[in-house]
Amino acid sequence: MTRKTYAEALIDALVEFAGEEKKFAIIGRGILGHGAQAHLVEPLMEKFGDRVTDPPTSEGAVASLGIGAAMAGTRIFAHFGTASFTMEAVNQIIHEAGVAHSMSGGQIKVPIVFHMFHGLRRGGSGQHSLSPQSMFANNPGLHLMMPTTPGDVKGMLRTALKSDTPTLFIDHAALLGTEGEVPDGPFEIPLGEAAIRREGDDVTIVATSRAVHWAEAAADQLAGDGIDAEVVDPRSVVPLDTETILKSIRKTGRLVCVEEGYQMCSIGSEIAALAAEQVFKSLKAPVARVARPPAPVPFSPPLEEAMMPGPGKIVAAVKAVMA
Amino acid sequence: MTAPPAPGDRAALFQCMVLMRRFEEEVLRVARDHPYVGRQHLHIGHEATGAGVVSALSPDDLFHTNHRNHGYLIARGADPGRALAEIMGRKDGLNGGRGGPWHLCDRSAGFQSTSAMVGGSVGLAVGAGFGLKTQGSKAISVTHFGDGTLDEGICYEALNLASLLALPVLFLCENNAKEGQRPSSMLAAKVLHDVPDALQIRSLVVDGPDADAVAAPAAYEDDHIRDGSGPVFLQADLERWPGSHQTKPEFPTGVTDLTLAWEEDRIQGPHAEWVRDHDGLRAYAKKLVADGTLSEDQVLEIDRDVLAGIEEARAFAEASPYPDPSGLLDNVFA
Ligand SMILES: Cc1ncc(C[n+]2csc(CCOP(=O)(O)OP(=O)(O)O)c2C)c(N)n1
Ligand SMILES: [Mg+2]
Repeated sequence: MTRKTYAEALIDALVEFAGEEKKFAIIGRGILGHGAQAHLVEPLMEKFGDRVTDPPTSEGAVASLGIGAAMAGTRIFAHFGTASFTMEAVNQIIHEAGVAHSMSGGQIKVPIVFHMFHGLRRGGSGQHSLSPQSMFANNPGLHLMMPTTPGDVKGMLRTALKSDTPTLFIDHAALLGTEGEVPDGPFEIPLGEAAIRREGDDVTIVATSRAVHWAEAAADQLAGDGIDAEVVDPRSVVPLDTETILKSIRKTGRLVCVEEGYQMCSIGSEIAALAAEQVFKSLKAPVARVARPPAPVPFSPPLEEAMMPGPGKIVAAVKAVMA
Repeated sequence: MTAPPAPGDRAALFQCMVLMRRFEEEVLRVARDHPYVGRQHLHIGHEATGAGVVSALSPDDLFHTNHRNHGYLIARGADPGRALAEIMGRKDGLNGGRGGPWHLCDRSAGFQSTSAMVGGSVGLAVGAGFGLKTQGSKAISVTHFGDGTLDEGICYEALNLASLLALPVLFLCENNAKEGQRPSSMLAAKVLHDVPDALQIRSLVVDGPDADAVAAPAAYEDDHIRDGSGPVFLQADLERWPGSHQTKPEFPTGVTDLTLAWEEDRIQGPHAEWVRDHDGLRAYAKKLVADGTLSEDQVLEIDRDVLAGIEEARAFAEASPYPDPSGLLDNVFA
């Protein structure tokens, strides 16, 4: 184990994988964004700069470049920057990558990772703040992973890179600078394996990506009020570890879902539906969802703040279901 | 609100350029004083192109701008105080604080879209051209975008449609791709206008920092567009201002000193070459003094007036409160 930033762990996974897989290419620059961690991409560029293609601002063609190459047998990590920019490539991701394996009767494989930064980023306004996870998850044939910690990003990215199924790997730029223990050497975190971030008996909070950290902060605060919250991080949204989530709800009898996306047809909506379908009788209170209010993200700081499903809103939602 | 410069009024064109420059310099100060306003795409160094085109067009024409939008808004008469307030996310901002610096919008000044999705404005401008044509309007649709925008597929589809339907659209390409920093476009075509040429769109190239050179053909081509002959692609070649992609608020070329227009030996520093050879504002001041349109004193007086207005604009913006979060869902649906 070594203490590292999330950004370093992400690059480690790429460097390790490039070292062992010759048929592997990276498309995109600025894999670590434009912030304080941007330079940490250096070890990758030094060792495997020749594998990295710097494309024009052509997201649709970049997606096709990667998907076609993956079909032809080169494993691909394609970086799109802000998740908003993948909207230029939605057709290629959903209608080409997502359907190819099934529509070809299992003949074609598309080993590609679509990497992007989702979410509120301060000042992103209505066109640079997208959290597209639930709209992607709404389509078949695509795995969807959202890591939360430095250790997880390394193990999950390796799993995604080795997978023959196209994988949306949705990061949050605000996580890049966070630190944690990271296992040395290559390892994989299996798909569909949730992590219990904190154990508790009173209420289950299911959160994804950066919202996991907000949920943990809320749980700390709730502990002071005598409420014992369990925080579950699905880590992969497709496939979803329903067993771990439902087991927790059976134990606590209460469910609060938290995410940065919009509430309509959200990940939380899916988990709430699962709870209603499968553990209805265990529920002691109505389910609550904490998500973005249904407005385009405004620029003004206090308005953007009001969009965030932060710890305060989570605490309020938990107290409401505990009442 | 100052009216856009009238065609042929070179002193007004110069004043407009000074306003555009001083506004952007104030935006840098705002970004320094309020770090939350974040990364800025300033229009410094593009004033001659922006003001030149604006002066040639009619106030009814519809504009579609991109992330580098401030200069166009200001040149077409958007209120600098409300524009600064928007950049600061305030209640009295042009967009009520919803848009911020990348999305300034003023419909009363003829702006329909300020999209920060690269290529967004190009597609919409073609649509506006279609709308205007179906309405039998005499107005035209304008979009300004960078060289890098031609990296995006939508441009090819939109240019093709505009040509096929002979739509009244002026495609203004601010070509600041020049080497030195990382070029902002990656095109296999060596000459940008090869792209519209292949699609049978009339194209011409102008020297972006030369305000007269931009204004004259813009006005001339305007007739071509307005009489129904179809779109025009105007490529303005510019040398990227050294601060154009800065992540920190700083003045790499220093706060503009218009006396350098006639005291050239005082031009110094690491970016002296840009100031001497590529700053269209300095060049126009020099030219107008040389041909007797303005005296040195008049140039400085225009600058002082503009600066006084900018100071007022800043005070207005600073005094404006943040919008109330209770209005978060306002205007989501029309
Ligand atoms: C669809 C999309 N992809 C990427 C970006 C990120 N981006 C913002 S500005 C820019 C460069 C645009 O270059 P150009 O059109 O030449 O304009 P310039 O900034 O040089 O004036 C890019 C790639 C974006 N805003 N939208
Ligand atoms: Mg450019």
